[in-house]
Amino acid sequence: MRSISLFFRSVTKSLILISFLSVATANSASAQDAAAGAAIFKQKCTACHGIEKAVVGPALKGVDTKYDEAFLLKWIKNSPAFIASGDAQAVKASQYSPAMMSAFPELSDDDIKNIIAYVKVGDPKPAVDPNAAQAGAGGTATPVGVSNFMLFGLLAVIIIAFLVVLVLNKVIQTLERVMLQKKGVAIEEEIAVDKDRFAGLKKLSKNKKFILFIVLLSVIFLGSAGWKGMWETGVHTGYQPVQPIKFSHQLHAGVNKIDCQYCHSGAYSSKNASIPSLNVCMNCHNYVTASEKYAGKTSPEIMKIYTALDYNQDTKQYGENTKPVEWIRIHNLPDLAYFNHSQHVSVAGIECQKCHGPIQTMEEVYQYSPLTMKWCINCHRQTEVNHKDNPYYDKLIAAHDKLKKGEKVTAAVLGGLECAKCHY
Amino acid sequence: MESNKKYWKGLEELQNTKDFAEKSKNEFAEPLPMEEVLNEAGLSTVAPRRDFLKALGFGLGAVTLAACQKVPVHKSIPYLVKPEEIVPGIPNYYTSTFNGHSVLVKTREGRPIKIEGNPDCMLSKGSLDAKGQASVLDLYDVSKLKGPVLNDADATWENIDKFLKQELLQVKTGGKKIRIVSSTVNSPSTKAAIADFTAQYPNTKHVQVDAVSYTGMIKANENSFGKAVLPRYRFDKADLIVSFGADFLGTWISPLEFSRQYVSKRNNTALEGKKMSRHIQFETGMSLTGSNADARLPLKPSEEGIALLNLYAALGGVLSGSKPLANNPNAEKAIALAAKELSAAKGASLVVSGSNDVSIQIVVNAINALLGSYGTTIDLDNPSYQFAGNDAEFVEFVNEMNRGEVDAVFFLNSNPAYEFNDAKAFTDALSKVKLRVSFADRKDETASLCQVIAPNHHYLESWGDSNPVEGYYTIIQPAINPVYNSRNAEQGLLIWSENPVTDYYQYIQNNWSKSVLAQSGTTWKELLQKGSVTLPAKSAGVYSFSRELNSVVQTIIAESNSLAKGGENGIELHIYQNVAIGDGKAANNPWLQELPDPVSKVTWDNYAAINPKFAEKLGIAELDLVEIKTDKYSVTLPVLLQPGQATGTVSVALGYGRVKAGKAGSEVGKNAYPFLRLVNATLQISTSASISKASGTYQLAQTQTHHTIEGRNIVRETTLKNFLKDPTAGTGHAHVNKYDLWNEYEQPGHNWVMAIDLNACTGCGACIVACNAENNIPVVGRDEVRRRREMHWIRIDRYYSINDGDNRITKEEEIDKLENLDNVSVVHQPMMCQHCDHAPCETVCPVLATVHSSEGLNQMAYNRCIGTRYCANNCPYKVRRFNWFNYWNDSRFDNYMNNEYTQLVLNPDVTTRSRGVMEKCSMCVQRIQAGKLAAKLDKRKLKDGDIKVACQQTCPTNAIIFGDGNDPESEVSKALKSERTYYVLEEINVKPGVGYQTKVRNTVEV
Repeated sequence: MRSISLFFRSVTKSLILISFLSVATANSASAQDAAAGAAIFKQKCTACHGIEKAVVGPALKGVDTKYDEAFLLKWIKNSPAFIASGDAQAVKASQYSPAMMSAFPELSDDDIKNIIAYVKVGDPKPAVDPNAAQAGAGGTATPVGVSNFMLFGLLAVIIIAFLVVLVLNKVIQTLERVMLQKKGVAIEEEIAVDKDRFAGLKKLSKNKKFILFIVLLSVIFLGSAGWKGMWETGVHTGYQPVQPIKFSHQLHAGVNKIDCQYCHSGAYSSKNASIPSLNVCMNCHNYVTASEKYAGKTSPEIMKIYTALDYNQDTKQYGENTKPVEWIRIHNLPDLAYFNHSQHVSVAGIECQKCHGPIQTMEEVYQYSPLTMKWCINCHRQTEVNHKDNPYYDKLIAAHDKLKKGEKVTAAVLGGLECAKCHY
Repeated sequence: MESNKKYWKGLEELQNTKDFAEKSKNEFAEPLPMEEVLNEAGLSTVAPRRDFLKALGFGLGAVTLAACQKVPVHKSIPYLVKPEEIVPGIPNYYTSTFNGHSVLVKTREGRPIKIEGNPDCMLSKGSLDAKGQASVLDLYDVSKLKGPVLNDADATWENIDKFLKQELLQVKTGGKKIRIVSSTVNSPSTKAAIADFTAQYPNTKHVQVDAVSYTGMIKANENSFGKAVLPRYRFDKADLIVSFGADFLGTWISPLEFSRQYVSKRNNTALEGKKMSRHIQFETGMSLTGSNADARLPLKPSEEGIALLNLYAALGGVLSGSKPLANNPNAEKAIALAAKELSAAKGASLVVSGSNDVSIQIVVNAINALLGSYGTTIDLDNPSYQFAGNDAEFVEFVNEMNRGEVDAVFFLNSNPAYEFNDAKAFTDALSKVKLRVSFADRKDETASLCQVIAPNHHYLESWGDSNPVEGYYTIIQPAINPVYNSRNAEQGLLIWSENPVTDYYQYIQNNWSKSVLAQSGTTWKELLQKGSVTLPAKSAGVYSFSRELNSVVQTIIAESNSLAKGGENGIELHIYQNVAIGDGKAANNPWLQELPDPVSKVTWDNYAAINPKFAEKLGIAELDLVEIKTDKYSVTLPVLLQPGQATGTVSVALGYGRVKAGKAGSEVGKNAYPFLRLVNATLQISTSASISKASGTYQLAQTQTHHTIEGRNIVRETTLKNFLKDPTAGTGHAHVNKYDLWNEYEQPGHNWVMAIDLNACTGCGACIVACNAENNIPVVGRDEVRRRREMHWIRIDRYYSINDGDNRITKEEEIDKLENLDNVSVVHQPMMCQHCDHAPCETVCPVLATVHSSEGLNQMAYNRCIGTRYCANNCPYKVRRFNWFNYWNDSRFDNYMNNEYTQLVLNPDVTTRSRGVMEKCSMCVQRIQAGKLAAKLDKRKLKDGDIKVACQQTCPTNAIIFGDGNDPESEVSKALKSERTYYVLEEINVKPGVGYQTKVRNTVEV
């Protein structure tokens, strides 16, 4: 059931995405230079500037009316030089903050004009259907996809349709019979056939071989279902709890391509990959508030970070009244198994996705792998040891080469299946 | 050469008592109730069909219901703001100080889980004793106070400060005395804080008193050389050590340092240089030190002074009015021999005495001066500050209280209501004091008599410093926020004395930057990183002795006569500290309570140790209860027959019988402090008493009697003479059957092996506690130890043998005929899983729960184990331990794993085992894996010494060496190549991975 629902989710998601994209492209066609400006703005400016809100630098709305274009061109290209030149307006502008704006010599005049055009227009958001925008943003209030209710609804529709078809069939049959009756064809024959059919069933039920066959079949069927069920006990593939913050890996790792280790730094050095502490979130969310999607207000999910840290956005001060974020743990290895991330990530060089699945596409994280011992062992049997440029393995590899020329050196060969690799 | 010396584990085995023979056949200590089941009634019992079906149905229903339970939701809560230095899953190490020894504190996610010696420590060089290893558990002790107490009610620190400032002001205006009573304080900052307090309240005096006093030595040194200090002993410079009752490897002054020094003259390096020190021990009870001696002679307490006088005379000292040792010709002969040897080893010899009698210590000083020990083996210019208590000052303090002169008293790390010999006089006097304040961390015997209890931090929570010996300063830094609402005692003193600096951290920093940091040119950060500062040592001066000894001789003889007054059932009672519990301050530590005594192997109790032949004469049998009585005090204790105990004496350990220690330590054993005797202003550890049989017996929880060696040749020893002739002497390599049940396998990677030098192992037991802490080993308690269910993965087996020069006792009947069991010698043998390459346990496991790794480890997969215990039965070394209970989730075992505070000490890298599962030494596989991973992450080869197992790491004498046997350059490979190496039970060809080196004894034929 889980896999069906997942399938439905991905299908609907992609449908919605396609529709959103088509709307967005249609919309942006009218403001070509603003769109180009938006791209540059996101790349170069958002670290310090917002359109509606002051971040490190001032809010930029109305900057085009406050200053003329020539001034802005000079200022954006190289503000320190501009100030140093002694321009009265530039000196006045520089008093906004002690932090100096960095120079962007790589930007052409056209680029800057595009940026100004973008700042004038702002985000194309209002023109877009708000629902689609929300769906596209990901990690929004309601989970996208097919809920169980919808699923059952669909099933019900199918069943009802089936019933309707049955009833219609019956009606057709009756009508046909009526027609035949009108034509004067005898219908006793059919009744006899009906009787015969029941008799056949009765006869079958007395056939011991047939009964044995049925019983055997059901035993095999139920047994294998039971066996499978037993194996699945305690395996939580697909486990997808609702998290306190609707954090989207799809947005962070997929769209923004933030490296996994930026947040899960422990994975490279420790047994625990570790969930990032909130100060890591604040590195970006100090100014990334996603306000463009919430009509100028900070995203309610990002607000949760601020609440947890008791952070005041206006004064930029941290308070005392902090509250930890209680994430729900998805990957639960039993206590009796020792697992070390750094061994797999740093030493073996295994991609996170190998065990955690396509994390960069997950709106909400779910358990991708079964995390059973069988699954571990299978991988240890197949995965070759990453021994290149690691002198630790030199002796082992040499000894192994001597023993078995040409065979793959898998983790299993180097003792990767031994109990005390994981159990102590 | 096959050694045909006979060893025995205990008297039961020696005499092969009926009880012992019976027990050795049984797998369990208690018979299984098979008869009850199989008797007629049992067999004819009918289970009614309906009941059976009901039970079946109910059981099925219960299981179904239980299975319906939802999978629990696990939370994962990250730091809000992660401290930069913490990476979850990776331990951090901080330097700190335990008992004057610089240590490293291992913390995981902010909680200390293990203490290890700091390799930079001048005294320990990276090792740590059992008490130090166990100290981390005290941090989480639930018997501690959760906050300050004022007049028996919980209070806040503000209340306490307000109350005390007010009271102290009144005391100051009243003009009466204030006393701060503490055990020895060698912390410069604490001393400074007390001095500042004294400046504010000029009537204050700091009284130092130690539970076990060294006042006698300090006074003797003052008398002999004008220096009221404990000298620093250099056992590493002594070729000949003669000790009179000083347990310098176990409890005397600085045992950790002394063990290292002592063994440096006896370990493999020394033996390869064809040299070994010689050690003669004269003592009453069998101490850890005595068990390591080359020659050990039982001596009554009354004879000790006389023997020393005779030794002095024999060495050519001028003496008048000595007397011979009556009734102890053996000792007299030995004294003559010792004198001869000492004269030959002048300048490289050392005589020490454990007595607290000033006169005796003066004689010892005279002997050492005569031998030229000062400046070589004794250093009076770089003294030790480990003990500075003064008995006379404390007695005077009690008198002051009695006279009503004291208005306020503070107790810091001192518990006189338990430790003082006349506790009643003390408590009566204390009741006359208006203001009584204790800094105890719990409501102990003294604190419960105080109005204010201001709980002090545990050392892992606090800032502090220490100056254990001249020129060596160590720092204590906190490794965790206070677990309970406690506060530095010094901070209290600073606040109450209106000090301008009330933050003790700031105070220490100021203090250090003024003194030690300036002198040594170290910065505060470097200090915190290294843990200690060593200033250049002064050169040790030569001292000569020029006192007149007449009065000393008279005092000694008088004291000897008073001790030996005898009478009906008269005995000389000898009071000592044992290695684990010591003076009883850490009595509430279950790890220490369950650590077997190194010699008697008794846990959870003290007892009356008596010589077997003497007991026979008195009509007392083992485990009988006896009453030991002086005119002031009496206790009833179970008897332990101790070979080697001086005839006519009884030894009883201190530190037991506490009433307010806490959950684990209260009402364990009997208090022996009241037997101490105040003579010539010092507390004496021996007294004359009488013994009588009381009714009943008491089962001591002993570990060594649990297995039998069936006459097998397990320990091997030789004499130095034979060793020099033939280094393989005594290894007794037996004929090994080449026939083999098992296939050979390649071990191309690592081959983890271990080498244990029996000549370096002193049997102190530090490894056992280190293993407990590292591997989450449960404490099972007294009753379960009696049922042979202790869980220690490493044990130290103690074997007795009769020491008779070259005349080996070859037949067990001959031992039976021996007149006395005085001349007994001891071998300690650490025993843990031998990780046999051809392990018999692996073959019999029906579920493959214990299998071999390609790196030579015998692995144990707990979750596979179904508890048949076949492996334990088939293990030739009896090292497998079975979990009879869920020790971490069973209220009957309320030791430390079953409590949310104390279980914080558990090592998160090691599974806690469940009921019905076998366990055993894993060779610290978690450390091996961590070491390998570190090498892989650094992309380098694994270096020898990268991985140290817990027992090896803590061993004060480096007796245990672990490493890769496939690396010919590794320390362990070299050690195993030693000619002394043998493998226990090598004749059965199980190919153990642990090699032992024979014990070498430096015996001289008399």
